[in-house]
Amino acid sequence: MSEYLDTASLDAPTTAALKRLILSLADSKRLMGIRYSDWLLGAPSIETGIAASSMCQDEWGHARLLYAMLRDLGEDPVAVEHERPDEAYASVDPLDGPFPDWAAVVAGMVLVDGALSVVLASFAEGRFEPATTRVPKMLSEEAFHRSLGVAWYRRLAGSDAQEARNLLRGATESMLPSLLAWVGAADAAAVSLVEAGVIADAATLTGAFRHQVRDVLSEAGVDVDAVAAADAWDEGRGRGPGHPDADASERARGDRNRMLFVE
Amino acid sequence: MREFVYDVFARKERGEALAHIGYVDALDDETAKVYAWKTYDEQNWFEMCVVRRSAIIPVNREDGPFARGGTAQGGTR
Repeated sequence: MSEYLDTASLDAPTTAALKRLILSLADSKRLMGIRYSDWLLGAPSIETGIAASSMCQDEWGHARLLYAMLRDLGEDPVAVEHERPDEAYASVDPLDGPFPDWAAVVAGMVLVDGALSVVLASFAEGRFEPATTRVPKMLSEEAFHRSLGVAWYRRLAGSDAQEARNLLRGATESMLPSLLAWVGAADAAAVSLVEAGVIADAATLTGAFRHQVRDVLSEAGVDVDAVAAADAWDEGRGRGPGHPDADASERARGDRNRMLFVE
Repeated sequence: MREFVYDVFARKERGEALAHIGYVDALDDETAKVYAWKTYDEQNWFEMCVVRRSAIIPVNREDGPFARGGTAQGGTR
């Protein structure tokens, strides 16, 4: 890897692109934590609920670390975390609504967490110094999320219950197109980050993501290589055109406890 | 779905003996590893292992908890 990026000398478009990437990762982590938290008491077993609780804490910790990186780019992380409207959230599309069933949670572990980890792994190998020091710990924690997700995915995919298999396949097919678009972002902002050495190019990231999920998805009858990326794209946020539901963004911002903030 | 009992052993320091710290019910070895690590996370463990209870061979007692190892369902803890 070449020397670290001098963020003070970046041009405005590249700085904006770097902020967009960090915000999308941080918002996704925060929303992922919220979606896991919905299953602390509804998971299939006590152990699974405890794991969901732990993963929720992991995700919120990762979000906090990622939001803090924005300080290096002249942003106030506290304002970013607590004062943005729903429409400004840049989390990946599959997190816009709650996971409706356990099969969707499992698909989310494999696909959403998996996509985030592919991009984070590349971010950690790039020239943005805070990512090289803070992201590896996140990835070591994510290894447990992936183990749990893959084990449950295989279990549901091989289940005797047709409904379980259908739910898993449906959730997978619903999540994949927007995640492929997010991982494989190749707009001007994404290209500027590749040129700055912050992250790998779209083809590399997409290839890594497809490779990571190919075998496990095949067990549900899904061919990841036959799925195309979604077309709809919001360049400003680096995701699809929607946004998280109001309840989730209220929780993410901490609206209900705003008067108690101690930051 | 069928689950199995896995016993969890851990030690805080390199020189310590592994101690039995609890158990988890899990689908398989992979989920057992995650459940154990996430459930018994109150310490910064140096080492943690899980073993399916059915793999434990009692030596001198047939009435201890490890002698009943098997599936989680059916009260075989």
